Amino acid sequence: MKWSQFFNTSIGKKLLVGATGLFLCSFVIVHLAGNFQLLYNDEGKAFNAYAQFMGHNSLIQFIAWGLKVVILIHAIIALKLTFSNRAARPVKYAVNPGNQTSSWFSRQMAIMGSILFIFIVIHLANFWGKFHYAEMPTHTYAGMEEPLKDLYALSYETFQNLWLVILYVIGMIGLSFHLIHGFKSAFQTFGLNHKKYNGLINFVGVWIFGILIPIGFALIPIVIYLKK
Amino acid sequence: MEHYNMNLTLKVWKQKNTNAQGGFETYSVKNISSEMSFLEMFDVLNEQLINEGKEPVAFDHDCREGICGMCSMHINGRAHGPWAGTTTCQLHMRAFKDGDTITVEPWRSGAFPVLKDLTVDRTAFDRIIEAGGYISVNTGNAQDANCLPVDKHSADLAFAAAACIGCGACVAACKNSSAMLFVSAKVSQLALLPQGDPERKTRALNMVAQMDKEGFGSCTNTGACEAECPKEISLTNIARLNREFIGAGFTSEK
Repeated sequence: MKWSQFFNTSIGKKLLVGATGLFLCSFVIVHLAGNFQLLYNDEGKAFNAYAQFMGHNSLIQFIAWGLKVVILIHAIIALKLTFSNRAARPVKYAVNPGNQTSSWFSRQMAIMGSILFIFIVIHLANFWGKFHYAEMPTHTYAGMEEPLKDLYALSYETFQNLWLVILYVIGMIGLSFHLIHGFKSAFQTFGLNHKKYNGLINFVGVWIFGILIPIGFALIPIVIYLKK
Repeated sequence: MEHYNMNLTLKVWKQKNTNAQGGFETYSVKNISSEMSFLEMFDVLNEQLINEGKEPVAFDHDCREGICGMCSMHINGRAHGPWAGTTTCQLHMRAFKDGDTITVEPWRSGAFPVLKDLTVDRTAFDRIIEAGGYISVNTGNAQDANCLPVDKHSADLAFAAAACIGCGACVAACKNSSAMLFVSAKVSQLALLPQGDPERKTRALNMVAQMDKEGFGSCTNTGACEAECPKEISLTNIARLNREFIGAGFTSEK
């Protein structure tokens, strides 16, 4: 079987969705760790220096563009699979089993993924787009010669808008519900299902990626909104 | 268990043939014994319809002892009804109460077209088996069974996978109409034994290719198939199929 054929089979496509999904899981850890610097009481010195580094280091920029491509690959293949899965049952059941045979989260992957995708587009427009392609306020910190783009101030300004804070929380609920099933599902797709490890994979998927990390992200706009 | 009789309302899918538009018909049946099987209740209904000069409901059944894989009703939203690890023929009427309304539908999947009423065409499964669900054995005397050592644990796992009766409940239960549990059981029962080893790569590749060609959906690991399987085939088989297929895809030379 050629590569082109392999990645056109149902399992081949799922392998791509799972692999890109786990790569994106690794990204959220780094992103959350960086963003917590927004909560330092240092007028944004640490966060803006970090943003300056992340926005201008060539290797990071290469990965950052790769990340956007990975998100698109993940979303496009998953959508294709979703549509062909819907088409596989042309006449629907009159009565459905609901949560009796499968978890609610496992059936909402496409919807939660779509919420997350819309959130990512808005989030990129809010910060990434403005940081790279718009006039930004700058701040010169003591002991630094060059002024830094003040992404910290932009964050504090953005999250004065209650509607945006709510939108970010909804986005993180989407992330939570997506990863509660998605993380462990990727391992099953890779064929990694073993009773010695299933407990750990399930724990990390539900508690770390499904609950802890989304709460961490959601806290940032909430705390910023409440601070002022 | 206490015996009781019940009167029931049945909403049953009626469809003349594959191309006809189907719809629900409502019937009532009276004095159904709690000790009848679900199919016996349907026999009572059909007797009643024949006596009334109406057309009986077509449904699949054969052994009526839970081992042949022919019965196939989707009962109140559940493949083979509400009991776990049970085929429709082994579902008994004590699962229901007097006055219940029971909705009965055929397996719903593009790959399982309705032939008539509750019977569907499951030959897609046969074509998947033809694509690789076998071992090639040269003719001649059978060799001594002890020549092929098999680990007891592997033999048990292979046997558990081989319990699949190919009824299609996994496809019926899956929101994507995926046949992965069926295909994984058929791949696993051979992959776990030395006899299945020589053809393991072509088997995994060909059976998955045929599964996709038949129009089954892909697996999203919801676990509904495992919950509904009358033979309780495990999801670990799907992981094994993924390993077999990915391994074969990455290393096959063709």
